[in-house]
Amino acid sequence: MNVVVDLNRCQGYAQCAFLAPQVFTMHGEESLLYTPVIAEDQDERVRRAAAACPVQAIVVGKEAGSGAR
Amino acid sequence: MAADTLFRRITDYAHRADPYPLYAELREAGVVRQEDGSYLVGTYHEIAALLHDPRISSDRRNRAVPDETAAGEQGVPPSFIGLDDPEHHRLRRLAMRSFGPPHTPGRIDAMEGEITRIVKDLIAGFEGKKRIDIVDDFAYPLPVTVICRLLGVPTEDEPRFRLWSDTIVAGFDPTPGEDPAERQRAGSEARKAMGLYLGELAEKRRNRPSDDMLSAFINNEGPDGRLTQLEIMTTAVLLLIAGHETTVNLITNGILTLLRHPDELDRLRSEPPLMPKAVEELLRYEPPVQMLPQRTPLADIEVLGVTIPKGAPLILMLASGNRDPQRFRDPDRFDPTREDNQHLGFGSGMHSCFGAPLARMETQLALTALIQHLDKPRLVEDPPPYRRSPVLRGPRHLLIEDDRAGA
Repeated sequence: MNVVVDLNRCQGYAQCAFLAPQVFTMHGEESLLYTPVIAEDQDERVRRAAAACPVQAIVVGKEAGSGAR
Repeated sequence: MAADTLFRRITDYAHRADPYPLYAELREAGVVRQEDGSYLVGTYHEIAALLHDPRISSDRRNRAVPDETAAGEQGVPPSFIGLDDPEHHRLRRLAMRSFGPPHTPGRIDAMEGEITRIVKDLIAGFEGKKRIDIVDDFAYPLPVTVICRLLGVPTEDEPRFRLWSDTIVAGFDPTPGEDPAERQRAGSEARKAMGLYLGELAEKRRNRPSDDMLSAFINNEGPDGRLTQLEIMTTAVLLLIAGHETTVNLITNGILTLLRHPDELDRLRSEPPLMPKAVEELLRYEPPVQMLPQRTPLADIEVLGVTIPKGAPLILMLASGNRDPQRFRDPDRFDPTREDNQHLGFGSGMHSCFGAPLARMETQLALTALIQHLDKPRLVEDPPPYRRSPVLRGPRHLLIEDDRAGA
């Protein structure tokens, strides 16, 4: 599964970094780092993280990221 | 009916089971001044803008007429929920050091196994009962057990702090027309008593830390320094109350809503991966925190053509914003697969819910396990009896019958 975060929307609420800490990490209080290609055992956590994003900045799925090629 | 009595009607216990028609009336009326001089805002975009507006204070000491809950020099100072930056930011960041990212990113994730076990034990406790009370048997004990473990508070003390917690919640009940002074005074006393209790627990862990937040509060020092003893007390009280009084309503409102929408319940039972989005929809559709009653403008501000004067009580009706048709399509429909669901269930902006990730995880795990366990659950009464508070709104009891409840 792939994940893309729209960093223009991200406001650093950090919900994803709580819910999928192996995929999303906070660098300081506001900048987000993330792994765009995720291992299968992280699927559920990433789905929770995407649903929880208060600004709906996370796109998840097989297709996520394909537009950036 | 006159718009200046809307708040009186919204807080009237008679409307607790279904305040939503009153919220529609509020949105229609725009920003409305109430008979007591407070102002209500119920439209999504205006609430969202005010939550991000630095001219809006969360500190009740900025009110033209401060009340007992604002606390004076002799009282206990506000916790960070009732403060503005920079104090709010300093205290919230210090509390966050031991709760979440960037310093403790794994704490909530690591609780999943334990929360799952607590849920399983509670469901096992249904054994032999044909009728269960979702509140007392499930939705109340779960978050209480979790917040106790997280903070490092003995669960056996629950009867003590339940009493304090009830009194504190009653103290900030903004229902007009009743003399609030006595309730507020009792609330302040209870806050002080709970603070002393938690401060003492933290003190016992000085230099003898266990893996909990009270230990971290008293032992860890960061670049911003550390929480003082008084700050540990006010912060721990805030977190214990918040963990104690809100998630119970989210879980209970969740079961109630699913029982009222049996097709959605069946769908979630067969497709558990839909649950995270369903919980977001619950936060929109039946939010456990219905309003933020403690904001105050620091200057005269204009909203929808109405000037709200500096120092006036400003009440933001989150649950009304969540049903605003200007923002959400078909807002009165419960749709667990709703896209573009930027609800106000956890507020927004710098005061957005500190415990949100924990509440989300608890509710997702609780609802998933419960609907898997139950077979054909039926509501015994609809609407159920509600708790008193118009702010932290939810059923006091939720009786259900199920052939498999205790199987």
